[in-house]
Parts: sequence; C-alpha cells; structure tokens
Amino acid sequence: MHFLAPSLLFGLLAAFLPWLVHLIGKRRAQPMRFAAMQLLLRSERRISARRRLREILLLVARTGVAAALPLIFARPFAERTTDLPVASLDAQSAVIVLDDSASMSRTAGLSTLFERARDRARVLLRQFPSDVDLALLVASSGSSPRISELSPERARVLEALESTFCSARPADYASALRGASLILAGSTHAKRRIYLFTDLQAAGWEAGTGLPAEGAPEVIIDDVSRAAPWENRAVLEVSVVPAPEVGTGGIAVDAELADFSAAGARALGAALKVDGISVAKGFVDLAPGGRGHKRFLHRLGGEGGGAHDVEVEIDGDAFRLDDRRLAHVELARTMSVLIVNGDPRTTRNEDEPFFFAAALRNGLPGAAVTTKLPDDVSPESLNGTTLVALLNLAQPSQALAAALARFVSAGGGLFISVGDRVDATIWNERMAKLLPQPLGLPRTASALPGQHAGEIVDDRPAERLAPIDRSHPLLASFPEHGEGLVSARFFKYMLLDPAPESPNRSVILRYESGAPALVEKQVGKGRVMLLSTTVDREWTDLPIHTGFLPLVREAARRLVGVTSDEETASLRAGEARSLVFSGDDQRLEVSRPDGSVWVARRDQASAAGSVLYSETDRLGTYHVRAVGPDGTVAARPELDFVVNLDTRESNPARLDPAQRPDRIAVASPGAKPPKHRVELWHSLAAVMIGLLLCESVLTLRRRRV
Amino acid sequence: MSEGGKASGERPGLLDPMELARLASLDLRARTIVEGAFSGMHRNLHPGTSVEFTEHREYAPGDEIRRIDWKAVGRADRYYVKRFEDETEMHTFLVLDASASMGYRRKGVSKLDYAGYLASALAYLVGQQGDAAGVLLFDEKARSFLPPSTRPGQIREVFRLLEAAQPAGRTDAALALGHLGELVDKRSLIIVMTDLLDSEPDEPGNEVHGALPGRLRQLRARGHDVALFHLLDPDEVELPFDDLIFFEGMEPGDTRTLLAQAPDLAQAFKRESQAFRDRWRTVCLEASVEYRFTRTDAAPAEVLRAFLADRQRAVRL
Repeated sequence: MHFLAPSLLFGLLAAFLPWLVHLIGKRRAQPMRFAAMQLLLRSERRISARRRLREILLLVARTGVAAALPLIFARPFAERTTDLPVASLDAQSAVIVLDDSASMSRTAGLSTLFERARDRARVLLRQFPSDVDLALLVASSGSSPRISELSPERARVLEALESTFCSARPADYASALRGASLILAGSTHAKRRIYLFTDLQAAGWEAGTGLPAEGAPEVIIDDVSRAAPWENRAVLEVSVVPAPEVGTGGIAVDAELADFSAAGARALGAALKVDGISVAKGFVDLAPGGRGHKRFLHRLGGEGGGAHDVEVEIDGDAFRLDDRRLAHVELARTMSVLIVNGDPRTTRNEDEPFFFAAALRNGLPGAAVTTKLPDDVSPESLNGTTLVALLNLAQPSQALAAALARFVSAGGGLFISVGDRVDATIWNERMAKLLPQPLGLPRTASALPGQHAGEIVDDRPAERLAPIDRSHPLLASFPEHGEGLVSARFFKYMLLDPAPESPNRSVILRYESGAPALVEKQVGKGRVMLLSTTVDREWTDLPIHTGFLPLVREAARRLVGVTSDEETASLRAGEARSLVFSGDDQRLEVSRPDGSVWVARRDQASAAGSVLYSETDRLGTYHVRAVGPDGTVAARPELDFVVNLDTRESNPARLDPAQRPDRIAVASPGAKPPKHRVELWHSLAAVMIGLLLCESVLTLRRRRV
Repeated sequence: MSEGGKASGERPGLLDPMELARLASLDLRARTIVEGAFSGMHRNLHPGTSVEFTEHREYAPGDEIRRIDWKAVGRADRYYVKRFEDETEMHTFLVLDASASMGYRRKGVSKLDYAGYLASALAYLVGQQGDAAGVLLFDEKARSFLPPSTRPGQIREVFRLLEAAQPAGRTDAALALGHLGELVDKRSLIIVMTDLLDSEPDEPGNEVHGALPGRLRQLRARGHDVALFHLLDPDEVELPFDDLIFFEGMEPGDTRTLLAQAPDLAQAFKRESQAFRDRWRTVCLEASVEYRFTRTDAAPAEVLRAFLADRQRAVRL
C-alpha cells in the first residue's frame, strides 16, 4: 500500500484515544458501598460475556474510526500489475471497440470470448486515469455504436458496456475502426487511441482497417483468444427440395458441412430436426479442412400443407452458432385445377388453355390440372376442385353459374379470362355476383402483328401495363420495375364497366390507359380474379413473356389460399428484410426467435408500402403477422424468413500479423508488467461508515440492556 | 402478604420517610404513623379468636367497635372492651436486622431507620392496646433484647433502644431467630424486619437455602404468628445509576467489589432483584409466614395500614 500524503499518517496516533479514554474512564469510576452486592454480582455474571464482547467491539469500532480518518486523508492506493496496455495510464481520448461478432460467442474455458473481452474492457475502463474521454463501439456489421461521442462519464460507458451482448452478426472491423477514427478526430487530447478487444479472426478484415492513411489514431489490439487453436466444424448450407419419391410431403434436405481443423472429423454426427424434433441422424467423415455433404430424406406430415422449421445440426463444439442451420419450408395445399376451355383448337399452341395449363404445371409441380370442354362441365365436376379457370367461355350455364357461386363462397378460387367468344351480356346477367366488374365492350388497341385492318395499316402501338404496385401480395415477388410483365403487349382487351367502390374488390394490374387488366374480388370465403384479355396469344403476347408463369402461379396460389411451396427467405445475420404491407394491413408484427415482437405501423412504410427490418441479430425463424383495420391478426407466411449465420464467422483463420493495424504491443514478452494504481480511500471510507454504524448500534443496545 | 410500593404522599396526612425523619423524636414519629394509619379505621393488632372471656379493658384507638361491652359502658359511663384469653397472652416481638447492610441510604432514610419507624409505630400501637411489646436487634448475633412487658415505660424503653440502634456487623438472621425461639415460650406475634441480603447462598440456581427458612418454619411450628418485612432501598430494586461505579460490599469482611457501567447492569439487576423477592415470597408462603416487601420510600403509615388491614381481612376469612 502506498500513500499520496504519508505525513498525515501521524494522525494514526489518534487510534490510541479510545484506549486512553477507556483506561482513564476506569480510574475515574465513583466508589460506592452497596448492600445488594449479591444481586449485583449475579446480574454481572448473567451479562458479563455479552457486555465484555460489546465493550471489545465498541473499542475496536472506535479505534477503527479513529484510525480510518487519517488513513483516508493520507489517500492510500495500491499498485497492481496488469496485462492490459500501459498506454491506458496516460491522459488521452480513447475509443473502446468491442468485437461482438458471432465468432466471439465461442467458449474458451468457463466463459465465452465475448465475456472475456467485456471483462477486460471493464478492467481497462476502471484503470484509465480520471482525465480520459471515452467512447464505445462494437465491431459487428451493421450494429449501432454504443456511445458515439467522447465522454468523460466513465459510469455511462461502463453501463453501456454491461448492456452490450454478443450478436450473431459477422464482424466489420473496417467500419468500426473508421467510426472510431472519426470520433477521435474531434478529440482535444494529444493522445488518441483505439482499444480493440477481439479474437483476431481474419473474417471481417476483408475491407482493410478502415483507418485514414494520415493522422490515424494508435490502435491497440487485445487478442482475447490468446491465439489458442480453434478447431471448428460447421453447417455451411442447408437446402430443402421437394422429394415426391418419398411420398406426399416428401422433402430432401441437403446439408453442406465443413471442417476447419488439422485433424478432420471422423463419424461426425449430423441430425435432421423438423420443428425442433430430431427425425433422422447420420454420420459424416470430413477430411482436414475439407467439405462434406449429407442428404436427408423425410416426409412431412399433413396433406393440407403447413409451415415447418427444418434444421440440420452436427455434434457440438466450442462454437455452437454454426453447428446448426435452419430452413423454413411451407408445403403447398394439394391443388386441383379444373380448366374450362371455351375456345378449343386443334393446334395445341392455339388452344386457349395451352399456356395457362403449362404455367400451372411448371409453376406448381404438385398441382393436378384437368381440362374440360364447356359441355362436359357439370356442377358435380366442381367436387374436389380447388380452382376453376373459365377461359374464353362464351356463356356459363345457369346451373354452372349457381354451382360456381356456391363453390367460391365456400372458399374455392375462380379465374376468368375473356376472348372473342365471351358474351358479355349473358355473363353480366348470370355471373353478376361473381364478376369483380361487369364486362363491357372489347377494345382494340392495335392490330396484331402482321394483321391489317382492311386497307388501312393500323400502326398504333399496342397497349402495355402500367407500372405494377408491388405492395399487392400477388406482385410482391416480381422485380421492382415489373420486368417480364410490363414489356408485354396487349392488342385487344375487354373494357370493364364501372362498379361501386368496395373493400372486397381491388385492381391488381392496369393498362397504361388506366383500364383494369386484372381485377380481384372476395366472395364469401373464396376469391374471383378477372383477366380482361386472353390467356393465349390471340389478344396479347403476355403468355410468352417471363412474367406470365409467376403471374399465373401467384394468382392460382392466391385464389386457392396457398402462399408458397418453397423455402422461406433465408437471410444471414445482420442482413435486412423488406416487409411489404398488403392492401389493408395496418401493422406488421415480426415475432423473433426469442419470442420478442417487433412492430411496424403503416405510417412507417415507404412509398412502395414496405418497411425494412434489420434487427436480425438472432438465429432462427422470424414469423410475420399482419393486423388489419379491425384488429384481426392474420399470419403472413409469405413474409416469414429465417436468419442463419454468416459462414465467414465459422472460419478460424487468424488475421495475418502483417495486416494488423496495431503498432503497440499489449505486453512485450519478458518485459516488466505495467502497474496501475487502485485508489483505496473509497473502500476505507466505506469501512469507516460501517464502523460508525456498528458503534451507534452497540451504544444503543447498551442503553437497552 | 403484599407488595409494598412507593406510597408516600398518596393520602393526605401520610408523611413519607424523609418527612418523618424531620420529626424530633421516635415517639412523635410513632404516634404520627399510627394516627395516619388509623385515620378512619379501628383495628386491633391482635384480633381475638378465643371465646373464653377473661377481663375488661378500657377502649383504645384500634379496638373494634363491635367488641365494646355496651353494658359496662352503661354501668361505668366509660368505654370498655372485652378481652379474651388469647389476647391477654399475646406478646409482640419486634425483631430488627441492624447489620451494616441495613444502613445503606443514598437519598432517603436507611433501611434501619425505616425499620425503626415501623417498629416504633407498632410498639406504640401495641402499648396503646395494653399489650406487651419487646424488641430484638440483631446482626450476626442477637445484639440487644428487650423482653415484652406491659409495665409503664416499656414503650419508652423500646423507643430508646430503637433510636440508639446503629447499623454494624454482618447479618445472621437465622441465629437471631434461633435465639428468639429459645426466649419465647408463649404464642407471640413476631415481626421481623430485615433486608434478607446475604441470607441465601450466592450460587447459580438461586435456590433459597440456609438456616433462615428453617428458623421461620420452626417459629410457626411453635404456634407463633410471624410476619416478615422485607425492606429494600429503591436503589436495591432498580439500580438507577448513570455512571461507571466501583461497587464495594458494606458489611465487615465483605471484600466483594465490582467495577461496572451501572446502565449496562440496570435491566439485569431489576430482574435479579425481582427474582430475589419472589424466592423469599415463596419461602414465606411455604412456611406460612406473612411476607411484606417494603421499599424505604413508601409512607410508613400506609405500610402499617396495609399490614393491619390484611391481618383483619385474614381473620375474617
């Protein structure tokens, strides 16, 4: 122990005062002749042990208080050796950069590297002299700075440090060090330093150091991994594809595994988990530093579709985050489509349903597609059907119209396309309840290529679609500018008569002229979609454009109520996900893997009706729900996504020493370890207050005895 | 048996011990006490129980009104009361502890002085009733003995003996009572006034051993009526000191000392003092001896009144 003002230690003589008072007090005791000595002695015997103990404690407490005062004024301190940089003892401006990337979550001994880094940062913070300005950043990609301006409030920095946790994001040291340099640029101290606590993994340094070429602050790196060897195995990729050979709901799960060690892995256990339950296990041999593949075949239960979390997990090692990888799949409901061919042709590619049926079969591999002529269709034909497509049907019979009304109301989907054969008057009469808008007159925009309108060459440009509105769920999967759709030409289409505004009806696509191209209407539990042109090449070349297949596929899914039959979007930790509001959604709620919920209101959405969700710090499945204007909550499985680890974090390769940005060694081998000063007067003051309290309590108790 | 509390000044006309001490002579103090005690009441120290009439005696304050012989009043125009065989044979022994410990005083009067006041009042009362009163002063042995007598001047002799008593010597109440037992051959009222300090062994458990309880039982077995006034100074009840005190024993040869912060001991001392009294109360109850704890700051007249009232009540029951 050392003292700043050792001369004040003479005050320690005051510690003898209580003893003197005690001795003098004994001498000045009044003598008294007392008759009831026997009672007095008995009383004394009863309490003597307690009284003596209390007297000793009182004497000790008073002596302690008398000794503590001069000790406190002498400002005692202790010097402790530390393996933290000696540079921290200077007056300076310092930015602490804490590596909170995924690789820091690996265990080393009893704690994780991140916990070790945080502990050392905490010690460093306490070791700094009082005249140091501090800021705190984290090194994971896309993370917000904890304290982005220099501050002398150490307690605030400590609080921010304690509330910092390891994320699953990859590291981005260049951004972190660049940010630290910018913060230090405004420093008033001559000494400006960046203290980086990291495992020195090579991943994350790809973009360089981020430091300016001139006037860069000193960088001091504390390698919390102590360069200990790290043998890692990881699941790099998981993909799920349909496997009809297994049966209904069959899937094939392919996992790519990697070894990052010099020894490789023999009989590495790999398990397939579906919805958290292990359903299959296997073993894989991995060569040192090599890759391997494992395929699992599994049949998901339930023919009615449903979402499933599919996960491949390997035997655990020190870095748990990359020992498992997720995929979220949604099985499509079995789709049965009845196409009513209103304009049969002998040439296949001129047949009305040729393109439409092909799009369905290719877009929805599991769908059962049946084509019938109008005369063959009876109300009983609708039994077991999930989607009915009326393509260029001249006129629906009364019976068919009534059956279709019942069919749609019960949840069935109805797709209608028009053509030359359609009798609008009869349609409007018989299908009034189902049609999203009454059919009007056909409008010819221009002659078909190669056709002439009599003697006059019609060289008017064909009609095209107006820019698409991707906020509609049906169009959400299309590129931003609607490539594959907006390039289609429409030579002829049917105008639709005005219909009263209704929340159950919406126009999905319009022509450039403003006329509706694709209109949707909710009827009971089902939906009806009306395309105001043909689905063959008679009135348009849309069927030969790339957008036709996804348009038919998404329309069929929407009409049947099936959203997807593929893997849900998979993001890497730290990546953002665009979430699109549909027509009447007021709120979108993202349920995170840990159960917490993130909420976006409609007024926070961009002009395109989307919000960006970027808090993808945790690995797992994120579910999205939409809240309607009346408070009803509906799942939006098409917006669900999974977040997996950025596999760069799995690679234990260390940063090449030549690329290290630090110029000051943390502790030179063989050098005398630096010492830092620990003030002790606070502790002494606390002890003194404790002794005073003790003395007060003992004195009070004496009065009560 | 009753507990004597602080009673000075509770009734008009009752003087507390300090006020009594200011009176000139013990004779006067005794009369003052008796008058105070008998204001509004007529009680006899020896309520008769025998049915065999022996003689008439002139009425004296304290005699019961119902025992006045109205026929004799009619014949002689003076008040006479009937006397029975028991009454004429009853002697009263006033046995006072005069050891050094009885001399303790700090604010009020000493225990010996207080015992003197009570004894003189009782002697006065007995004399007024024409009965015989005797005195025994003792310390570690019987120091002075005045046999009971009804002769004129006996009361003055009692007063003189009591006034001359000085606290000295160690205590041995058992020896004194043993001595008294040998002297008394008739059924008598024996009133013992002592602080009982050092009359029990100072050992754990605090059981009352020793000869005194045995002596008390002996006296009762011989048919004597025994009352014990347990006199204690208020300091011996509460230990009301505030300072560091070096306590020393009072009696000769008592080398016990104690240096203590008195407030530290006060609560334990109170409990110990109470236990001490409780033990003696039990001893007296077992020996059929009337136990009366009396603080020396209580008005003697009140103590005397309570004593007489209790005796009268006991006779009625």
